[in-house]
Amino acid sequence: MHQRIQIRPPRIWTLLQRSVPTVSLLLGLGLLILALAAFAPPAQAAPSYQEDKPSNDFCLACHQEEGMDITLGSESLPVTINPTQFDLSVHSEEGIACVDCHKDISEYPHPVVKAKSARDFSLTFADSCKECHEDQYTKVQDSVHQTAFDEGKENAPLCSDCHNPHTQPRLIGQESGLLTIAARKHVAATCSECHADTYEQYKNSVHGAALADGNTDVPTCTDCHGVHNIDDPTTASFRNNTPALCADCHDDPAIMDKYGLSTEVTETYVADFHGTTVKLFEEQFPGQETNKAVCSDCHGVHDIAKVDNAETGIALRENLLIKCQRCHPDATANFPDAWMSHYQPSPEHFPIVYYVNLFYKFFIPAVLGGMILFILTDIYRRIVNRMKGAKHA
Amino acid sequence: MNTVTQTYLRFPIARRIEHWVMMLSFTTLGLTGIPQKFSTSNISISIIQALGGIEVLRTIHHTAAIIMMLGSVWHLLVMGYSVFVLRDKMSMLPTLQDAKDGIQALLYNVGFAKTYPQMGRYTFEEKMEYWAFVWGTAVMTITGFLMWNPITSTKYLPGEFVPAAKAAHGGEAVLAVLAIIIWHMYGVHIKRLNKAMFTGKQTEHEMLHEHPLELADIKAGIADRRPDAATLRKRQMIYYPIAAILTVAMLGGLYGFINAEETAIKTVPPISQSVEATATSAP
Repeated sequence: MHQRIQIRPPRIWTLLQRSVPTVSLLLGLGLLILALAAFAPPAQAAPSYQEDKPSNDFCLACHQEEGMDITLGSESLPVTINPTQFDLSVHSEEGIACVDCHKDISEYPHPVVKAKSARDFSLTFADSCKECHEDQYTKVQDSVHQTAFDEGKENAPLCSDCHNPHTQPRLIGQESGLLTIAARKHVAATCSECHADTYEQYKNSVHGAALADGNTDVPTCTDCHGVHNIDDPTTASFRNNTPALCADCHDDPAIMDKYGLSTEVTETYVADFHGTTVKLFEEQFPGQETNKAVCSDCHGVHDIAKVDNAETGIALRENLLIKCQRCHPDATANFPDAWMSHYQPSPEHFPIVYYVNLFYKFFIPAVLGGMILFILTDIYRRIVNRMKGAKHA
Repeated sequence: MNTVTQTYLRFPIARRIEHWVMMLSFTTLGLTGIPQKFSTSNISISIIQALGGIEVLRTIHHTAAIIMMLGSVWHLLVMGYSVFVLRDKMSMLPTLQDAKDGIQALLYNVGFAKTYPQMGRYTFEEKMEYWAFVWGTAVMTITGFLMWNPITSTKYLPGEFVPAAKAAHGGEAVLAVLAIIIWHMYGVHIKRLNKAMFTGKQTEHEMLHEHPLELADIKAGIADRRPDAATLRKRQMIYYPIAAILTVAMLGGLYGFINAEETAIKTVPPISQSVEATATSAP
């Protein structure tokens, strides 16, 4: 079955055919940029131009016309490309040609599109990115998104769902080699396209709110979930790894000192019953489920709030009790204090624990020292007596 | 019969079994407990791994604790029989003489006393170890209860008692294990290999050296004077019902200890996250 394609006749077709020198110049420039770009991550190898390939300007001459669309089945797919936006895209910057991806098109009229829907059309390009972005493409193969796709969820994101190839700006700073600030701020919005509920929670969390204010210390989606090889966050190993994940930042004084936050959170967590178990599970059986609390069970997953938040902060015992009761349904008012709230015991915080430790710090050496001392005198006496005995004999 | 072949019964079979039970449960508790206290050390991690992981380790620890508590219940009942029915001398009770003996032994060792103290059925060293064990078991039982049943405990006690119990349990454990290694090892294995707890017997020679006053009592016929059959039966008739009630009470207490509460849910805590994606459109 053939799809009906409605494309307006190209009005400046002939005009462009006359401007071959301009096109060649652009081609040359493009090649130069391409050669330079070959050294820059993340695209490993850009396809080379072919002599007979139509230029981007050539394509845009028609495709910048507003309101262009094709009908695929019952859907209409816009095929207008905004040249201003495209110019700002990294693909334009790197001189990638339209036909590098749209390989089946080399002339007008274009071949008939066989796709039955817009999604179907996108899927025909699923492997196009691999040509230059093999690293990222390979990583995606191990991701939860690919798994979902393989399970038949065709809305599971393709490369182009997160990175619109026609508008995607540069993400990695050319000098820093890091995600640009603008890109960082945009990550959550990208994920929110599908994960809207999660985004709503994140947006108002201590991390999300700070990110919106331009703070780059805070994690965005990809910092915890990974970028292309996004793990299934519902697995036991992801759960067991949570403390290590949070510790990446929360044990780092370079980040935490700015906010007056403790860097002993992991140490104090591991010293406690929950943390000891989780740490050992993580080390010995990464995939084994444990019901002992990890960071997110008390602090939240995407809706992480400041602990001293007046309404929800778990520094307030009543709020913490609610968290305790999720696993300890029968817990009552005193129960939250059984957890030392990441404090090292001191005369101010958890003094009983502090003094018990102090007692044993002196009691153990005193008792054992006394025993050893007595034993030494006993050994001494035995040696002396034996020598005397030998003399007498 | 000379002093080497003439033997005296020191520990009847029941006491020797009791010792085995306590020794094995104590060793198990130490082996499964110390790695929990020092859980980040590589040795601990290897032990935990070898025993099948932290949850298995905790189950073994709890089982050994139950066995030791049962042993303690048994010991209390036997002691009751000894004191109320047989009317034995309470030879394990610490006395002022023990302190004097200890000081004299120390002075003798360093050369300030001419003779080593002469002691009875239990020497000051043995009494010290016995009461240290009693004290340790009491501390471990109470602190163990607080950790085993934190919800029940915090209904009546401040929450801080739970981590405090953990601190005391760990400190006491280190003390107990090291005390056994140092004091018990030296006292009954190194100084002289004392096999009385395994054979049940000591030779007259050994008795003369270690328990001369007890030996003198035996020779004089004033040790272990058993009541006559009628008196014995009369006292047993009184003690057995009391012991039965005590047994039921203590076993009930132990049952309560083990089953006081369902501390936590068995499943992983629920996550309330929506990860269902909405439809997307082509670029």
